[in-house]
Amino acid sequence: MKQYVTFTIDGAHVRAAKGASVLDVAIEYGVCIPHLCHVPYLSDIGACRLCIVEHIKDGRSKVTTSCTLHVQEGMVIRSNTDKIKRLRRNIAELLVAQAPNSRAIQDIAVRCGVKEVRYPFRNSNCVLCGRCVRACTEMWRARAIGFVGRGKDRHVDFPFGVRSDLCKHCGSCVMLCPMSITPCNGPMKTGEEYLCGKCESQLAITENLSDSCVWCELGKGFQCGRYQ
Amino acid sequence: MPAIKNASDLEALRKRLQTQRGTFRATLTLCGGTGCQASQSQAVIDAIKGELVRQGLENSIHVRVSGCHGFCEQGPIMVIEPGNIFYCHIIPDDAQEIVSKTICNGEIIERLLYTDPVSGNKIQTEAEIPFYRAQDRQLLSKNRFVNPCSIEDYIAIGGYSALAKVLAGMLPDAIIEEMKASGLRGRGGGGFYTGRKWADCRAAQGDEKYVICNADEGDPGAYMDRSILEGNPHLVLEGMMIGAFAIGAGQGAIYVRREYPLAVKHARIAVQQAREYGLLGENILGTDFSFKVEIARGGGAFVCGESTALMASLAGKVGEPRPKDVHTVEEGFMNKPTTLNNVETWANVPSIIHNGAAWFAAKGTKGSKGTKILALTGRVKNTGLIEVAMGTPLRTIVFDIGGGALDGKAVKAVQTGGPSGGCLPVSKFDLPVDFDAFAEAGSMVGSGGMVVMDESTCMVDVAKYFLTFLQDESCGKCVPCRLGIDRMLEIITDITNGKGRPEQIPLLKELAETVSETALCGLGKTAPNPVLSTLRYFSEEYDAHVNQKRCPAGVCKALITYTIDAQKCKGCGLCLKACPHGAIKGEKKQVHVIDTHLCHKCGICTDECNSQAITVN
Amino acid sequence: MPPVMLESILDGRRSQPHQLIEVLQDVQEGLGYISEDSMRTVSKELGVPLMEVYRVANFYKAFSLKPRGKHVITICMGTACHVRGAHLLIDQVLGQLGLQPGSTTDDYLFTVERVNCLGACALGPVVVLDDKYHHHMTPGKLRKLIESVHKDDREETAYACD
Repeated sequence: MKQYVTFTIDGAHVRAAKGASVLDVAIEYGVCIPHLCHVPYLSDIGACRLCIVEHIKDGRSKVTTSCTLHVQEGMVIRSNTDKIKRLRRNIAELLVAQAPNSRAIQDIAVRCGVKEVRYPFRNSNCVLCGRCVRACTEMWRARAIGFVGRGKDRHVDFPFGVRSDLCKHCGSCVMLCPMSITPCNGPMKTGEEYLCGKCESQLAITENLSDSCVWCELGKGFQCGRYQ
Repeated sequence: MPAIKNASDLEALRKRLQTQRGTFRATLTLCGGTGCQASQSQAVIDAIKGELVRQGLENSIHVRVSGCHGFCEQGPIMVIEPGNIFYCHIIPDDAQEIVSKTICNGEIIERLLYTDPVSGNKIQTEAEIPFYRAQDRQLLSKNRFVNPCSIEDYIAIGGYSALAKVLAGMLPDAIIEEMKASGLRGRGGGGFYTGRKWADCRAAQGDEKYVICNADEGDPGAYMDRSILEGNPHLVLEGMMIGAFAIGAGQGAIYVRREYPLAVKHARIAVQQAREYGLLGENILGTDFSFKVEIARGGGAFVCGESTALMASLAGKVGEPRPKDVHTVEEGFMNKPTTLNNVETWANVPSIIHNGAAWFAAKGTKGSKGTKILALTGRVKNTGLIEVAMGTPLRTIVFDIGGGALDGKAVKAVQTGGPSGGCLPVSKFDLPVDFDAFAEAGSMVGSGGMVVMDESTCMVDVAKYFLTFLQDESCGKCVPCRLGIDRMLEIITDITNGKGRPEQIPLLKELAETVSETALCGLGKTAPNPVLSTLRYFSEEYDAHVNQKRCPAGVCKALITYTIDAQKCKGCGLCLKACPHGAIKGEKKQVHVIDTHLCHKCGICTDECNSQAITVN
Repeated sequence: MPPVMLESILDGRRSQPHQLIEVLQDVQEGLGYISEDSMRTVSKELGVPLMEVYRVANFYKAFSLKPRGKHVITICMGTACHVRGAHLLIDQVLGQLGLQPGSTTDDYLFTVERVNCLGACALGPVVVLDDKYHHHMTPGKLRKLIESVHKDDREETAYACD
């Protein structure tokens, strides 16, 4: 028998099954908390830090990722305070400065309110979201790819850098990768990167509305829970 | 050797050992810790032992090789009882004189005595040395009386009596209440209330629980845990066993960083001896309590000092932290309830049980009780490990214990808490060593590292040093730490290269605050502290770098030039010979010149020059 | 790696995935580095997926995936050593051997590594050469130390050729 708990998110009382994450429940109820490394059918690792919310407990507020936070009876969650908006914007800015040549990353940045990028652009082709690794490890259990190295050197690779028989060419990694969705006008020239924001313009008209889902294009191409 | 089957066996053995040790004519304690070993103390130890044999004294004079005393710069050191005579900087050739004059005739050898750097006086006994006198060496003083490879030494000084007291009938809840009442807070950096942690773990669901000792002391400049584990491993073992009994754990592990081979070795010997004596294993001291412990070595990763990363590493995986929405006291090692505490925290437990919580809480401040071991290093006269009561002001530590500035340069700041901590300026030196006071001031007591900096240290360079360190050690999983530290370092590098722009300073601050709020683990969350504290207290140095393209301390290479003063140069050629990059040209007895294109600004030439002819501007 | 050596390392540890790091440390000590072959064997014998073994070997600083030089020079870059000028030692090694930390000379005589604190802070700057600690190091002392190793090595080779 399923057990349910009630908690509040942005003032709204919500009922959810025990064991669910705050992010899953929020998306289901139309509170679209931005996220990147979360994929509905894979484990949540809390790596991108975009889904952060404020968990108010005992009068103190703790900033934590909603994908790793499990629902509890009486929890108080605020997903869109000024503080959270600012933190999320800064993280998205770091991401888009690292990899501007991805439509998904650009869309996320605009969605999180990034207006200008104050760091020099770098044209990285991986943001280490881990979607590919988790799909390969958890879904197909092939373990053909994994995270190798530490810190700045961290990258996704095959054992010994060479594709092995463990890889069955299923294509899941490519399908899930945010970098494989290139910007509409194609790859940007080095040194001429910019923040596009055209795809998200339909969100601009809803900027002043309270946070409810607008069934955006971003979610459609990006494995958002609403489209499952 | 005797297997100890119950508490009275233990007492009987203790009395026997104490009587035996009382029959020696004299006891020589020589330090064999890593620091003194680096000063070749082993050769001294061998020479002394050899000399005693030569003079037929090896049976009446007790030689004890102890662990670290904390005064490493004076090594190799020796303490002679009776008389509490302290000799330092001993070389093997001194052995004959020491045995003949001091041991046999009670004559003091002046040149081997410690010279107080402040007064210039020679000091005879260890007790009178100002460095030691100003301390409260509850834990460190035990190192002198124990050979870490001898469980009997530990038993002789009262070891395992706290465990006996616990197993004689203290209830687990009573033990935990005692720990709570003592006010002991984690000594590894977190400062979490130990009693509360044990209570949470005891309450957690599960039959299989673990206790872990975190000996992955990764903070550069910190070596307190090394000294305790190397010098008195049984103290840690006893503390762990008391904790295990209190929370209901039957297994434990000591995770030691591999850069401490001697600590690993001594911990292994201690575990083996405890097993042989029946103090580890099944039915300890004849009770139902059984406990086994493993020693594990780290693989070389600072991040493994973080509790979840450590537990992953213990399980043979990469040391990547996990989000702590569920705490490790509920789901820790192998997802079982685990109590992880630092070496020094465990080391405090036996004396709290033995002397009572009130005794421990009588020292310190309201929020920080007991004593803390600190590693005082850097630009002060007296460096080494010191143990002081919580609440001691920084000023006392730097000037009274540390002896004040080195080379007459003015002390500028103290960096506390390692890479997670911050820099406190002289204006804050009245702050007491207290977890909350330091945190409020923008720093941290942390594991206890204290690096003193003077006017020759560039604070922007210090921030850059710590960011470089953390970037190297970051696991790279989360965006704020991986990309945030990278971008902070990018900005600070621009600043130290003279390319800083005014708008980068508020950006640096905003980025630092974002990283500290959003990072996944403690490494990322505290990484911005060096940046934030130097921005807060030393903004004028940032200003000089950005707006005047000048490094006031003369450190940042891009902003300084090395020149040879033609008036002072004697043409001796020492600098030319020393320069590893061939940047100095000149004929013998002619003024030498530095080629600024080849100069790497490493400063090696300045070190070699005897005429102070090389200037930095 | 000689099968006998690997066998003794794996003894008593088969099918125990949590022993991976201890096993790799023993391989590193025995062979001087972690070879591809040893990783494949360890993966099979311990029951750890090959990807995991490769990840662990790459994550920890203790492990080197390339053979190291005959003499390993480890320079401590901890805070206390840093404020006493440890970076001068890095410069010295760069000038004298042309090596950045983490690399090996072409003749495989020297490898230079940096370590983030050995815990001998009061004696900094500290350099470890082949497991022997040297304290209060200056660039001049380091230059002489490296030169003496060169000299000893040349004599050794001379003996061997006799």
